[in-house]
Amino acid sequence: MAITQFIFDVFKLAFKTLTERKMRATLTIIGIAIGPLALVMISSVIDGYADYVITQIEGLGQNAIVLFPESGYKFSDSDLNAIRALPGVERAEPFYSIQAQVKVGTQTKVVFVYAIPVDIVFEAIRGLEVSEGSIPSDSDYLKAVVGYKIAYDDNNNKVYDIGDVITITYLKTSGGKTEIKRASVSVSAILKEFGGAFILSPDTTIFLPLSAGQKVLGLNEWSGIFVLAKRSEYVPMLIKQLQQMYGNSASIISFQSIANIASSIIGAMNFISFAASLSAFAVAVAGVASTMITSVIERTREIGVLKALGFTDIQVLVMILMESIVMSLIGAAIGISLGVIGAHALASRGFEIRAAAEAIMVIKAAPKVSAYNIARTLGLTILVGIGGGILPAYRAAKIPPAVALRYE
Amino acid sequence: MNIRVCAVAREIIAVENVTKVYRLGDVVTYALRGVSLKIFEGEIISIMGPSGSGKTTLLNMIGLLDKPTSGRVIIDGIDVSRLGSGEIARIRNDKIGFVFQFFNLINRLTVLENIEMPLIPRGIPRSKRIEMAREALIKAGGDVSWLPKKPLQLSGGQQQRVAIARAIVANPRIILADEPTGNLDRASARTVMKTFLELNKMGATIAIITHDPEIANCTQKIYIIRDGRIVAVQTPDPSRCILYTQ
Repeated sequence: MAITQFIFDVFKLAFKTLTERKMRATLTIIGIAIGPLALVMISSVIDGYADYVITQIEGLGQNAIVLFPESGYKFSDSDLNAIRALPGVERAEPFYSIQAQVKVGTQTKVVFVYAIPVDIVFEAIRGLEVSEGSIPSDSDYLKAVVGYKIAYDDNNNKVYDIGDVITITYLKTSGGKTEIKRASVSVSAILKEFGGAFILSPDTTIFLPLSAGQKVLGLNEWSGIFVLAKRSEYVPMLIKQLQQMYGNSASIISFQSIANIASSIIGAMNFISFAASLSAFAVAVAGVASTMITSVIERTREIGVLKALGFTDIQVLVMILMESIVMSLIGAAIGISLGVIGAHALASRGFEIRAAAEAIMVIKAAPKVSAYNIARTLGLTILVGIGGGILPAYRAAKIPPAVALRYE
Repeated sequence: MNIRVCAVAREIIAVENVTKVYRLGDVVTYALRGVSLKIFEGEIISIMGPSGSGKTTLLNMIGLLDKPTSGRVIIDGIDVSRLGSGEIARIRNDKIGFVFQFFNLINRLTVLENIEMPLIPRGIPRSKRIEMAREALIKAGGDVSWLPKKPLQLSGGQQQRVAIARAIVANPRIILADEPTGNLDRASARTVMKTFLELNKMGATIAIITHDPEIANCTQKIYIIRDGRIVAVQTPDPSRCILYTQ
């Protein structure tokens, strides 16, 4: 009880001492606040985007694996049959894909066109739903399922309705020649807004039945094979088997492994931002130490008086240390608050990613201000106070009272 | 059979053959050379001597603010030479109150906060501290209306009474004063000395360093110190005490 009372009294005294030296204390507190500001702001933004990206990738199907042919290799029916025969494979379907442009109102949008058994897309992507219309059968190769941002312009005005014709403009390269091609399809279904735009963006995609790949787009070679595993746990094993089957002839991508890679990258980014923020904390330690040493020197006589009145060395140490801790607590409160505000401001700008040659997508994710991040920042800032204050406090504690009282 | 009961005053401070040497490079300075003295409980004594004679060093030894190079200091029966700094600080807090020439009040704090300062290491609750500080200030001849003020809003004499209140707030048995009237006018010095005598009547043992014979003559014993040695112990002339002179 006596110790609690002592700590409380010393805390109040520390606060009062700081108010006496307002300018110096304010500048030191600003120096302290930079570290927590940077750490909270950067970490919250990274965590927010990390959650967004991982959720997006995982939402694209944890069971899905996509194979793309490499170095002149062409997928054929025998490949398809071999993949379908692998244990753990639920379904495997070929697809055609191109990047194209469509007119959406007054805008020209870059879109992706997939010719694929459309039902497998709904099977793979959680949360993908049709808002109106119906999914075309494979024989309806002139009918398309269009993403929300194709049916609607940026002001949410409906541009394409069910039955409307969309003209797809795309580049086709054959025999070393590249030519502009156009194809027209009618809207059979419009997707609900999916949100996000990472790796695969259903909102800016046109899905056509598989047969449209040849008949509408004039493509002769499959762009890849889409594989659905029976369970997500089988994905790593299937990837291994597919790698053994194809070696360098095919790229094998699973959203699960992309999520894992993204997690690793985000972890590394978090570590780098944390390490960078630490330098701000290190500078703050020096600032606090400098302020506290000056304060102790100025108050040498006062420290002598306190000792004469019966303060022990440890009590003097706690008293001086409390001043630096109070400064660090104020710095933490300011830094963390500004960090949260800064994180929202930074995140609201959005983050540009280049999804394809000309397709720049802007993703926006709210910052994630976690209790762990706040607690970690607060702990580090208090350590700044202790680290910067301990040496001056120790020095004050060790001044012999008679010497301190003689100090002019 | 006749039984004679003698009331023997107990010695509360004993300085035994204390020497204090300061070394600065090759320069060796003897501040005290084998000083011995005994102060009994309830006594009020003064220490006089020229500047640099070792008065303050001796008071620092008695007040446990400094350690002797050799010799012993015994406070209330405790040989402090064997104690650690924590225990010494606790004895200072418990048994000794200090009054300084320049008051040594903390100017950013209020009078109340200054007076209650010795109670903080004890962890005494604020409400109790306020009560004790008020009592001490009244005992020191001060006015409770000073409590919310800052020291610099008070006169020198008032500040010294605040310093005395701070010295007595924890009810120490010993009060040590280093030239407590050295920075005051005659009227204030008289008031301060009167306060010391009243505290002594209440049982406090008091040692005062002074240059002023009119202060020293108010005490019961005058130790004369020169070149680090006690060269004489004089009996004061109460008629020449500051309380009775113009």
